[in-house]
Amino acid sequence: MSKGYLVLGNGEVFSGSWLGNKEAIGEVVFNTSHNGYEEIATDPSYYGQIVVMTAPQQGNYGVNDSFWESRQLWIRGFICLELQKSTANSAWLERLNEHGIPAIDNLDTRSLVLHLRDQGTQVGAMFSANSIEEAREKALPLVRSFSDQELNWAYQVSRKKNQKMEGASTGGPRVAVVDYGCKQNIIRELIKRCREVMIFPANTSAQEILDWNPDGILLSNGPGNPQDVLGAPETIRELLGKKVIFGICMGHQLLGRALGGETFRLKFGHRGANHPIQDLRSGKVFMTSQNHGYAITKESLPSSVELTHINLNDKTVSGISSAKHNCFSVQFHPESHPGPRDAENLFDEFIERIQA
Amino acid sequence: MPRIEKYKKVLIIGSGPIVIGQACEFDYSGTQACKALVAEGIEVILVNSNPATIMTDPEIASKVYIEPLEKTFVEKIIAAERPDAIIPTLGGQTALNLGLELDRSGILKKYNVEMIGATPEVIKSAEDREIFNQLLRKVGAKHTRSQMIRDFKHGLKVSDELGFPIILRPNYTLGGGGGGVAYSKEEFEIMLAHALGESPTSEVLIEESILGWKEFELEVMRDRAGTFVVICSIENFDPCGVHTGDSITVAPQQTLSDLEYQDMRDEARRILDIVGLECGGANIQFAVDPKTKKRVVIEMNPRVSRSSALASKATGFPIAKIAALLAIGYRLDEIQNDITKSTPSCYEPALDYVVTKIPRFAFEKFYGAKDQLSTQMKSVGEVMSIGRTFKESFQKALCAQESYLGFDEVVFDKKKLSHPSSHRILQVAQAFRESLSVEEVNHLTMISPWFLEQIEEIVHFEEKIRKFPMNKDILTSAKRFGFSDGRLAQLQNSTEEDIRKLRNDLEVLPVYLKVDTCAGEFASETPYFYSSYWGSATPVQTSKKQKVIVIGSGPNRIGQGIEFDYCCVRGVKQLQKQGFEVIMINSNPETVSTDYDTSDQLYFEPLDFEHVFDVVNHVQPMGLVLQLGGQTPLSLVHELHKNGVPILGSTIETIDFTEDRSRFQIVCEGIGFEIPEAGLASDLNEALLCADRIGYPLICRPSYVLGGRRMEIIENIEDLKRYFTMYASEISPKARCFMDQFLENALEIDVDIVRGQDWSLVGGIVEHIEAAGVHSGDSMGVIPPQRLRSELLQIIEKQCLQLADKLNVIGHLNVQLAIKNERVYIIEANPRCSRTVPFLAKATGIPLVDLGIMAMTLVPRDQIPLSDFNWKSIEVVCVKGVVFPFKKFPEADSILGPEMKSTGESMGRGQEYSEALMKAFISSHQKLPREGEVFLSLREQDKKTLLPVAQDLLKLGFRLSATSGTAQFLYENGVDCIPVKKVHEGRPNCVDRIRSGGVHLVINTTSGRQAVEASFSIRRSCTDFSIPCLTEDHAAEAFVLALKKQKSGEFGIYPI
Ligand SMILES: Nc1ncnc2c1ncn2[C@@H]1O[C@H](COP(=O)(O)OP(=O)(O)O)[C@@H](O)[C@H]1O
Ligand SMILES: Nc1ncnc2c1ncn2[C@@H]1O[C@H](COP(=O)(O)OP(=O)(O)O)[C@@H](O)[C@H]1O
Ligand SMILES: [Mg+2]
Ligand SMILES: [Mg+2]
Repeated sequence: MSKGYLVLGNGEVFSGSWLGNKEAIGEVVFNTSHNGYEEIATDPSYYGQIVVMTAPQQGNYGVNDSFWESRQLWIRGFICLELQKSTANSAWLERLNEHGIPAIDNLDTRSLVLHLRDQGTQVGAMFSANSIEEAREKALPLVRSFSDQELNWAYQVSRKKNQKMEGASTGGPRVAVVDYGCKQNIIRELIKRCREVMIFPANTSAQEILDWNPDGILLSNGPGNPQDVLGAPETIRELLGKKVIFGICMGHQLLGRALGGETFRLKFGHRGANHPIQDLRSGKVFMTSQNHGYAITKESLPSSVELTHINLNDKTVSGISSAKHNCFSVQFHPESHPGPRDAENLFDEFIERIQA
Repeated sequence: MPRIEKYKKVLIIGSGPIVIGQACEFDYSGTQACKALVAEGIEVILVNSNPATIMTDPEIASKVYIEPLEKTFVEKIIAAERPDAIIPTLGGQTALNLGLELDRSGILKKYNVEMIGATPEVIKSAEDREIFNQLLRKVGAKHTRSQMIRDFKHGLKVSDELGFPIILRPNYTLGGGGGGVAYSKEEFEIMLAHALGESPTSEVLIEESILGWKEFELEVMRDRAGTFVVICSIENFDPCGVHTGDSITVAPQQTLSDLEYQDMRDEARRILDIVGLECGGANIQFAVDPKTKKRVVIEMNPRVSRSSALASKATGFPIAKIAALLAIGYRLDEIQNDITKSTPSCYEPALDYVVTKIPRFAFEKFYGAKDQLSTQMKSVGEVMSIGRTFKESFQKALCAQESYLGFDEVVFDKKKLSHPSSHRILQVAQAFRESLSVEEVNHLTMISPWFLEQIEEIVHFEEKIRKFPMNKDILTSAKRFGFSDGRLAQLQNSTEEDIRKLRNDLEVLPVYLKVDTCAGEFASETPYFYSSYWGSATPVQTSKKQKVIVIGSGPNRIGQGIEFDYCCVRGVKQLQKQGFEVIMINSNPETVSTDYDTSDQLYFEPLDFEHVFDVVNHVQPMGLVLQLGGQTPLSLVHELHKNGVPILGSTIETIDFTEDRSRFQIVCEGIGFEIPEAGLASDLNEALLCADRIGYPLICRPSYVLGGRRMEIIENIEDLKRYFTMYASEISPKARCFMDQFLENALEIDVDIVRGQDWSLVGGIVEHIEAAGVHSGDSMGVIPPQRLRSELLQIIEKQCLQLADKLNVIGHLNVQLAIKNERVYIIEANPRCSRTVPFLAKATGIPLVDLGIMAMTLVPRDQIPLSDFNWKSIEVVCVKGVVFPFKKFPEADSILGPEMKSTGESMGRGQEYSEALMKAFISSHQKLPREGEVFLSLREQDKKTLLPVAQDLLKLGFRLSATSGTAQFLYENGVDCIPVKKVHEGRPNCVDRIRSGGVHLVINTTSGRQAVEASFSIRRSCTDFSIPCLTEDHAAEAFVLALKKQKSGEFGIYPI
């Protein structure tokens, strides 16, 4: 087995065993969830990212198509301490490789995580090399090339065509989803509660959405920096007040921007399945699944917007609501996958608001 | 929701003596809770009958009662203290049951005491099978089908419905008798008849089997606002059918997908809600069918448990402390995470390592007991280890057992592989050496393939180690796989020393990683470490203080338990008081010593030379304290010394001195101690010669036996022949058998001494109630002595201090003496803290451990208020009671002998001897009968001694029955009694009489192998039916004294 290297933008090098064919470049982020590697890899929000799992052993329970959160794997690379590759079960590694995603294991992930925590998220390149010197040299142009690429990630991962889906609830509403990189489980949760769901590409105009005459609109999760989703806040602004709007993650950040708020980059983001959120209205605290690198700046929100949820770890904005525009959004993932389902009832709240 | 102000005074119930299934984890949880509540300014009243605990130390709670955990006593405490609330969820099942009883009998209401932590309704909902199953169905959770059976025919019918194998659980279970798994109809019929007979209510729960399913536990918490968190998921390596307490377990769970795990988590929350646990911690056990993925709930415990202690150590989340704070009104988000000091406690710990727990067993202590694991817990302790991967963690855990080097090679035996036992794990590895496949081993064991693959990979790596010369890569990989130096040496045919040298040369050294609750997401301040070969070197914490390492006592086992943890924790505190930075090393997750806030730095490591020495090299202490953790640290002394590690206190010469029989004998004789006649034999011929010289009875023990000690009293030549045949394989010219003159009917005492450079002190003398011949750990004891004359006491004290001088002890010395005809014989001397030290400290108030530390750190005489410490000035009489696990071992004999068998101790405190005795018996779970029949069967030499006892029993209103010889004797001496047949004399005999409930107390003294075997069934039936059975004459006298006291109905309660 050849040596695999991860070289960060700041020159830091980590090495392990190379389990792939071609190199990868991406934002290096870590996730503290114990399970759910397949859900994570297929979550479009991880587009352009090399994911480091803090849980040391990965691939333990094989693969399962029903865990997929979208039509493909989006992560650029997968890094952990020990990836299951026994004769009996190496399904996860095989699946990664089938999809051209390289992996490195045997890598001291804890040191890497502490480094990312202290230095902040970095761009990194991973590949096989013969020596640390070679790795550094190889990495330089790769890392540089990353900053040349287009940043409209949400548009890249979004569906290109409308997709209509029958809902399971005949008495339920019709909901439009704006797909910035939507996780399948959001759709699953909606289908359970709706009569019909229509998924629109990210660049769909407000008018087109309104023409379909939905009862409510869900702004989905998605990858990257909300500032780079050009045009989205404007589109959303046109929808404000016309329909009930519910935003999740990227959808939340974009709604915040549409309402006049600002977003900022977190030092190393929140990715995991154990983030405590408090609902400021009820005082209730629950565990959530999270995956984001940006957040809404609290002070930037206009007074008409109510702060509804905060993250208790770092007190960042985790949910907002506007009575005036009949919209609300959360930074975390009520659809879980992976992670706790404690916030699932937000989908019910969405439906209730529509039906109110 | 901040604290509820009305709780100003809270009563906490402890868990009592250590028994199988309820060990020092409750000292850990109770201590944490007490400290947390005291810090909140609440007055905490603690009641616990176990003196060997940290929680009963005066510093922990506001007021401590060492009193029986029984309604009448606790009522008195409540009446005297008038607490606002009582917390019954911290002291295991004992406290929970007591809490329920206090509620049921109206005592709580009468004194207006609120039960917090869990209400009686919640406890009932979780504990009552029927109610619980009903609740489970309500929330859509599944459970196994079961039915309560009251007659045989019905049982047969139900078994047809449920199929085989089938689980039997006799109601109000009488220990090992009755319960278990029936694999066939024939087996079931026999077991059912037996089980119905064993249950006092003739009720047996028959349950559908889920043998072989994967077993999981979730440790969960909830606060009053409804916030729910899973602290830790635990997966059992051994599938269903092996009690979780006996299973190897791993955290976090490894083989469930997120979908499956979240389903389980959601179900746990729903169960907690419907059971109605308002706040606190709980444990929910699940089983999952590996084929169909069907999931059932096994049980729920609405309290902190053994697993919650493990979960706390595994994650850094202090469940018991938080549970206590929740009970007084706080919410999880209002409590800070102690480890990160920056985030709140409402979170689910994320682990970037794998934790393994391996239980420790004691089958070898119970002659005849089958080494077989089943649905009843049998282990006496456990170790935990942390590694970055399962492999690293698992092999470290094997080392922490203190009996393996890793996956030691064994003779492969398929039967031993398919039947769960204490050593099965070695067979699993051996199977892979024999080239069995994962599928085959899975088929035979039902252990999840994922676990088996990990072990297979370890075994395959052995080949690499065997074949290739060591280079840095292979060595690093091997260490990352968790191979110990010792095991590598075996595989490479070299020595542990060579491997270490190679590691040093190639710089393959462990790093120390933090347990931080968050997988590195947040910075953490708490110095709680584990070693790993993954990672880059971690800088040592620097401080201006001098560092001292205290070595703990490892897994609980019979002979080395909680009492040594008490010593370690006291020692740590004293060292801190003296300005040292204290580093604790231990491998036992149940203990207070492995709480991250006990010491300044905690290293969770196996207590073998390799791991201890690595930590020493890492932290570079000024010295090590080895005297507090029992025999475990002491056994490291030679190697540590050889490697230049500074040891505090007594030097290696002193330690060797006490073990070198001939040198030791000369010194003892010089002081005026008598020495029992002794000899050594390497075979039967030499033994016979030796016995001729010494005379019978003799006491024999092989000088080197792993595990059990095989110590026996030999009455005659036949016995001696039998002994040497039986242990032939363990006795040889290299490992000779010690033979000592047995001092019959001698009074045994324990003396504990502390000696500094220019001072020394007797901490106290415990007089044993049983005569010498019953192991000091198994005999009851009393302080102040009741039978020793004070002149002799004085002489003994002087002699013992002289002995400490002669041996040049610095620190602790424990001396065991036997007194016969006014002559003082020395049995042994241990240059360390002894089992009696916590008992003495509680009885006398003398901080013996603290003094030991002062001695070891060379505090001079003038700085120690020696004159304050006079053990003879104690005001209450204290009796040590003892608890045995015979119920759990259906084949074991309860007769006491020179090998220790007890798991725990209690303390009875009284104005007078009888009061203390009474309480000690009650606290040791002995029923004190008030009326009924006493059955006696006495050996010749005890008849006379016990005549007054029989007379007293008559006067107390008991009816007497006896076997023919004893009956005859009593009759001749004017004592009325019913003659009963011996077992071999036909039926109905004495055992029938006991088993049919006609007998309430048994006094049965025997000796000589034959007589002991013949009377086994008498004692066994007493064990099965919880009838007190006294096997020694002094114990019988003491028991009757306690009965008299009980009859008087007078007793007090005395805080310490
Ligand atoms: N129906 C069953 N079939 C097979 N094994 C079982 C069954 N029920 C329980 N067990 C096993 O017995 C053990 C002890 O049962 P449990 O109900 O947890 O009792 P306890 O109160 O002693 O913990 C469990 O850990 C599990 O391994
Ligand atoms: N020579 C003896 N005569 C009578 N009893 C003895 C003698 N030697 C040992 N015993 C009994 O055996 C017990 C255990 O022996 P000891 O040498 O103290 O072993 P341990 O190291 O297990 O404490 C003692 O507590 C004592 O009751
Ligand atoms: Mg259980
Ligand atoms: Mg002894």
